[in-house]
Amino acid sequence: MSIYLPIAELSVNIFLLLSLGGVVGFLSGMFGLGGGFLMTPILIFMGIPTNVAVATSANQIVASSISGTIGYWRQGLVDFKMGGVLLIGSFFGSILGVWIFSKLVALGQIDTVISILYFSLLTSIGLIMLIESSQVIRDRVRRKTVKRKIHYHNWAHKLPFKIKFYKSKLYISAIPPIIIGFVIGILSATMGIGGTFILIPAMIYFLGMPTSKVIGTSLFQIIFVTALVTLLHATTTFAVDAVLAFFLIISSVIGAQVGVLAANKLRGEEIRALLAIIVLGVATKIALDLLVEPSEIFNISVIRALF
Amino acid sequence: MNLRIFFFITLLVLAFISSASALVIGSDEEEIYIDANFSGKNLLVFGAFYSDPSQARDDKSDILIEVVGPSEDVIIRKKESFFGFWLNSKSVGFNDVPGFYYLSSTNEITNEFLNENNIGLLNKKDTQLIDWSVLNIDWGNIKNEKDKESFYDALIRTKEIEDVYRKVNGEIDIIDGNLFRSYIEIPNTVPVGQYKVNLYLIIDNKISNEYSYNFKVTRVGIEEAIYSFSKNYPLIYGLISLLIAILIGWSGAEVFKRFRKV
Repeated sequence: MSIYLPIAELSVNIFLLLSLGGVVGFLSGMFGLGGGFLMTPILIFMGIPTNVAVATSANQIVASSISGTIGYWRQGLVDFKMGGVLLIGSFFGSILGVWIFSKLVALGQIDTVISILYFSLLTSIGLIMLIESSQVIRDRVRRKTVKRKIHYHNWAHKLPFKIKFYKSKLYISAIPPIIIGFVIGILSATMGIGGTFILIPAMIYFLGMPTSKVIGTSLFQIIFVTALVTLLHATTTFAVDAVLAFFLIISSVIGAQVGVLAANKLRGEEIRALLAIIVLGVATKIALDLLVEPSEIFNISVIRALF
Repeated sequence: MNLRIFFFITLLVLAFISSASALVIGSDEEEIYIDANFSGKNLLVFGAFYSDPSQARDDKSDILIEVVGPSEDVIIRKKESFFGFWLNSKSVGFNDVPGFYYLSSTNEITNEFLNENNIGLLNKKDTQLIDWSVLNIDWGNIKNEKDKESFYDALIRTKEIEDVYRKVNGEIDIIDGNLFRSYIEIPNTVPVGQYKVNLYLIIDNKISNEYSYNFKVTRVGIEEAIYSFSKNYPLIYGLISLLIAILIGWSGAEVFKRFRKV
């Protein structure tokens, strides 16, 4: 059974869509990732135009990050003040990002830029996950426990405009979180991702936030970044496909809940290693598409249709 | 079968009305509606070579059916290899090209004839250069004639693959020597808008008579409503998309909370 997507202007199999949403939701629930970094490239592989894939992924991430934030907020693990400061940066970042995006669409380079961005992103994530999970597996075999520092003192503490973040027990400058938010905003608007996998390490290592508060806070700020990105895309690139988003949201929200349950029962490292391999596989496919000579070197885009 | 009855009655009536030799035609559709389940449609075009039924068609007379869809502006981009990466580089803008083009004839019609009579798309002449001035083209930095042709060929080729450009002959049925009938395939990829059907009666390589009429292609259904809403009220559309995401995300968390407590 297939369904016609009005903005993407093509028909896709409904079960394929639901399983994509379900699997990506499952993975995101399991690992606390947004899942946009897998959703967008797979949508593009399915033949959905790049701009629709990016804009619609942002809309889907709004739903999954709300779902996640509520869970963490109930446990008191969201630092709203830190989230707010990050948001100041992401607000301007996403406006710049959508502007860059529409310029690239006009230049006809959006597909290439997105491919290169995704290739670099997925390769780094894949490798990091692979190395990290194999280390954990190795340490487990040697029965070692890894001790971690709770607090890092670095340059983020020396800059001006210092603010007290009681929840995170931090007294740092507002500049680093604003810059981090700004970068996340740009990436979110151009790639259709929430950016958790960049945000979480950045908050831990650059800001020195306690790990327990990091996921909830990043999810909280991602709601607003992706909501803004969705609105900006809807009004400037007209690329948000509500029908596509609906099916992805339904299936990913259910998938995410199952993923959270599964995370409590399964051992994470092996699955993380497997996910790393999937991520690297997607990266390889993107690289091949860029490097192998295409069978048709010309492509067409309709820029104005008369009605 | 109603169509066929209608077809012969129309011809009969027309034959009595007009006395001189003329091209008489009819069609079964004025408007084609495309919904999500639309998988293409065969548009019937029919008519008679001569209004006087006793005057039979001879080998020298041909029928040419041309269907021209609404015009659009397109950009053709060429990928080139930069340090091993295949990137879009040169581009050419073709303005006011038809979004659908169909040309059908009883016998093979030469490109010379089409060019002389200014019918349809540009056609390559064997010996001469293509006269680009007929089209509204933004060549960018393309100057070489061979490159220009490669971009133009890519336009035609892409449209042919999409099934929206077609050139056929011998697909027109001739009945009783004087009547003709043809089914024109309208695929579901066609653009919406005003279409024009041009019919030419060609005798001795000259257009002896011509006749035109219009039909419309419209998209209907919930998908179309969503599409036009997103274009006409982008902000409200964006807000509704967000609202759906918020509601589903929220209820997902609520359902899960209860599920967890059990």
